[in-house]
Formats: sequence, structure tokens, C-alpha cells
Amino acid sequence: MVRRGRVWGRWLLTLAVALGGVGALAQHMHGAEVGAVGGGAGGAAGGTARPAKAPRPQLATGVAFAPDGRLWLTGLDAQGRLFVQSAPAQDLQAWNAPRVLDTAGDVIAADGENRPKLAFGPRGQVVISYTQPRAKPYTGWIRMLRSSDGGQTFSAPFTVHADQQEITHRFESIAFDAEGVLHTVWIDKRDMEAAPKAGKKSSYRGAAIYRNESRDGGASFGPDTKVADHSCECCRIALAPGADGQLRAMWRHVFEPNVRDHGFAVLSSGAPVARATFDGWQVDACPHHGPGLALADDGGFHAVWFGIRKERGEDVAAVRYARLNADGSPRLSTVRALPDEAAEHADVAAAGARVAVVWRSVEGARSTLRAWLSNDGGQTFQRHALAQVQGDNDHPRLAQQGARMVVVWRTTQEVQVHELRF
Amino acid sequence: MNCVSDAHDGPTRRRLLAAALALPGLCVSNQALAQHHHAPAAIKTVADFDTAVWTRLLREGPRPAAYVFTTTYCSTCPAVFELLHDTLRTTKARAELAAVVMDAQGERALVHAHHYRGVTRLYAFNGFEPEIRHAVDPKWRNITPYVVLLDRQGRTQRVIGPPGAAQLKTWLA
Repeated sequence: MVRRGRVWGRWLLTLAVALGGVGALAQHMHGAEVGAVGGGAGGAAGGTARPAKAPRPQLATGVAFAPDGRLWLTGLDAQGRLFVQSAPAQDLQAWNAPRVLDTAGDVIAADGENRPKLAFGPRGQVVISYTQPRAKPYTGWIRMLRSSDGGQTFSAPFTVHADQQEITHRFESIAFDAEGVLHTVWIDKRDMEAAPKAGKKSSYRGAAIYRNESRDGGASFGPDTKVADHSCECCRIALAPGADGQLRAMWRHVFEPNVRDHGFAVLSSGAPVARATFDGWQVDACPHHGPGLALADDGGFHAVWFGIRKERGEDVAAVRYARLNADGSPRLSTVRALPDEAAEHADVAAAGARVAVVWRSVEGARSTLRAWLSNDGGQTFQRHALAQVQGDNDHPRLAQQGARMVVVWRTTQEVQVHELRF
Repeated sequence: MNCVSDAHDGPTRRRLLAAALALPGLCVSNQALAQHHHAPAAIKTVADFDTAVWTRLLREGPRPAAYVFTTTYCSTCPAVFELLHDTLRTTKARAELAAVVMDAQGERALVHAHHYRGVTRLYAFNGFEPEIRHAVDPKWRNITPYVVLLDRQGRTQRVIGPPGAAQLKTWLA
């Protein structure tokens, strides 16, 4: 079941040895950041100058299979530079050398649910997207690089959305639909910014989901159009194709008055928003925990999400799984919590009756990669522990090509690739 | 929502707190705290935050204190600082109001300080984020703002989102 690809491990190990041991590994993942770093809890408010230390590693990665079956990965290297690398279909541990891409000096978000992503189109097109945090806090632009030669060369980065305000455009997701149209979907605050204020607060609830389309693999884009008002502001957006080949999106929404459940919509003009979850979680906070979505063989969907719901008078936090109907409405009898109270950032994929749910489970410094596998369309699951590491690591990412499913898990020492066998 | 209380009481800690408050450079004085709640924040440094620091803060103070755990992209977080700042100003209470940034360090954390109204101290996570979060509260699932209110006796209240009026009253009692 498990295959590991040591991508950055070798040079990291060399670096660590050179610096005096593996214990130094995480501290030296990235170049030094210029910053005024004071003392610890006992440090003076005025602070004493200390040599700048290396920031935390930014391990958030995007993965996808290319049409030829190679597995591609994109992320930031130790210097914060965007890179891509790939491994052949027949040997997913035989990664080629990482190739650094020119991003014109963009700062790139690659932490948690902010991550670079890549997608393959039907005619040799490859696109890589990321959020570029802008100088003003809470702002960002969605940037993209495109290739029309299967990823041999990439363009300079460009901004995907037409709106050029220095406001929030973040947490993008990208995918090609069955007709080869590239869809970019993101969280956008132009409506919130334009809304009148009630006291110090905006009268607008949450943010909004916006999207655009490109019919030429990212060479040009249609207008920014709104999918939904009142999304939550800091969670990833899940995309999955429906049985008709059109993409569906699922995101954390802010239903009235302040309920952070999930919305679902077809990515086409004027599509209604369905409510996909009913946890009834009322909170004025950011969960940083977006959903996962995969097409089921009956035309409905498999979904995973995090939420807090009242059960017998208690707030119960859990990552939950459920089947959705084709219109995004939940089959309430299928809702169940993953068998792990510490589960976080789950992802889901499906092929026929096979369903894979993977997640990270953290206890102190130890993280465990777990999988929940079903052979009967999600009626029953078997739980597996795939790997365990100490220290920093990314959320697990599922990649799928046909019936083949792999989990990619990046740690400070390596990129693990786990082939799922049912 | 998600509120618990515990007590860390004892004369040893009070002595430590008194000693700490008497030592310039170790802690911000109450006078300085009071001034911060009437003037714009002038945070120029970022202190490391890890499990050992948290243990020490709970044990040794300062008290009362509010620790607001936040991220650079948490847009619901500044409202909590507004609430806490207004509470301190209205009640004329003195307390540490600390921002703990979980996803950035150094300058990247510092540029957000002016969004945290009334903040008296800025910390940044130094280490594996879930491990530190687990040490703060094993049940906390990285929802922000996550607020820990530490009262004069060392009792804590833990809140996701803005604390309620009753929780604020208990904190400053």
C-alpha cells in the first residue's frame, strides 16, 4: 500500500548534517526572514535584537496526475520559491529533480489551506495557481502560470481575476471541466468592501464566492462572476465534476444569521446554492477548515467537512462524511463522524464503489496519516493508519486518475506517496 | 461555546508574579498596560510562543490577561480585539492583551499588529503549529479567534470567537 518518494529528503539530510544534525532540519528549511524578533515570554516589550531565525517551513503542496499518468507536485522550496517536479506512473518514488519556476518575486501563500495548485487541460495545457498575499493585511490576488507544452515551459505569472483592488481574492481552486474549460473559483470581498458599514463592521455577512472561465487554457479569461454571496472567509473550496462533466463547488457558507455550514452549486451562470450540511454551527470565527467533494457512481457526491454540532446538549467537533444528492442536498441518514476525534483536513476521492477518505490526526508532535476505505460506495469503511511522523507536515492530498488513487503527504524530510489499494 | 475553567492558585505564583512585575524588561507594567488601552498600539517586537512559553505564562502571569490566537488571514479576529479593548477601557481595568499569531513570524506577523486594537504584546508560534495548539487545548481545532482569558487568580476561560459579557465580567472580577 505504501510507497515513499524521497524528494527533498536527500538534500535536506545533507543540509542538516552540514549544519550539525537532523535536529536542525526544520529550522533550516527556508532562508532567513528579516524580522524584529524579541525574546520569549520573559522578553522585554522593547525587545532585544536577536539574529533572524529561519521561519517555519511552508509545506502546503498541490498534486495532480498528468494525462500521461505522471504524478506532479508543486510547492515552495526551502527558499520560498515555487517548484514543480514529477514522477513516472510506473514508479511514483522516482521523482525527477525539482524545477524552480519564475514567479517574478511574488510572495506565495503555502501554509495550511493556502497552497499552490496545478491542473492539466486536454491539449497539453498545465496551469499552476497560488494566492499572492498583498502588502495590506487580509488581501491577496490569485496568480497563475500557464504552459501549453505539457509543462516543459511556463509563462510569467499573471493575475486571474479582472478585479484589481487590493482586497481579498484568496483560497482559489482550479479545475478543467469535461469540455476543457478552465474554471477558477475563489473567495472575494469586493461586495463586503462596497457594503455600507454598521458601526465599525461591514453590513455584509462574510465574503463571496467568485469565479471565471478560460476557454483557451488560461490564455484569456471571461469576466468575474459571482457564485454566491456570504461565504465564510478562510476555508478552501472543494471542486468536483458532476456526472454531466460540469464542475460543482462546495464551500463553507455563512447562512443566516451566522451559521457556518456548507453551500453547494454548479459552476454555471445563475445556478442556485444548495445547503449541503446542517450542523447548525453558529460562530463568529474562522474555522480554517474547508470541505472535500467527490462524484459518486450514482450521480450524487461523497462529501467530508469539519463542523461543530450540538449532540445531546454538547458541542461536538468532528470531521464528518455524508452522501449528497446530485443537487447537493445531503442524505441525512448517511452523515457520520470519521472514527477519529483528532481528524483534521480530510480529503475524499471515489471511483465506482471505491471511496477513499484520508486525513491527518495530530497528537502533540506526532502526526498520523489515516485512511478510511470503502468498497461499497461509502456504506461501510475500513480504517487504516498509513504513516506517522514527528514534526511539521502538510495536510494529506489525494490525487486520482481513473481508478488509481494516491495520497501525497509532505513532511520536512520527504514527500510520501501512498498508493491506495482496496 | 467551548468554555472551560481551571485554577492555578498559590502563594508561590503570586510571589513570582510580584517579582516579575518588579523587574523592568521582564514584563509590561500595569501602568504601561493602562496606557496601551488609551493610545494606539506601538508594538515593535514579536516574541516566540511555544509550549514552554505557554506553560510559563499560565503559571507566572501577567494577570489578568487575554490571549487571542489569530492568523494573518483571520478577518473575524480584529473584532475580538476591539471588544476586549473596549471592555478594558470601559471598566478601567488593567490587563495584558496579547495577540498570538499562528501562521507567520517576524515582520510578517508584525505588520498585522496595528489591526489588533489595544494589543500590549505580540507573540508568534515558533514550532509545529498543531503541537503548540494541542498544548494550549487538545480539543481546539485551529478555529480562530480562539481566546484564553486568564483572571487574577490564574483561572482560565477558553472561548471560540468573541467572549460573552458574562465571561468578560468573570475574567475581570
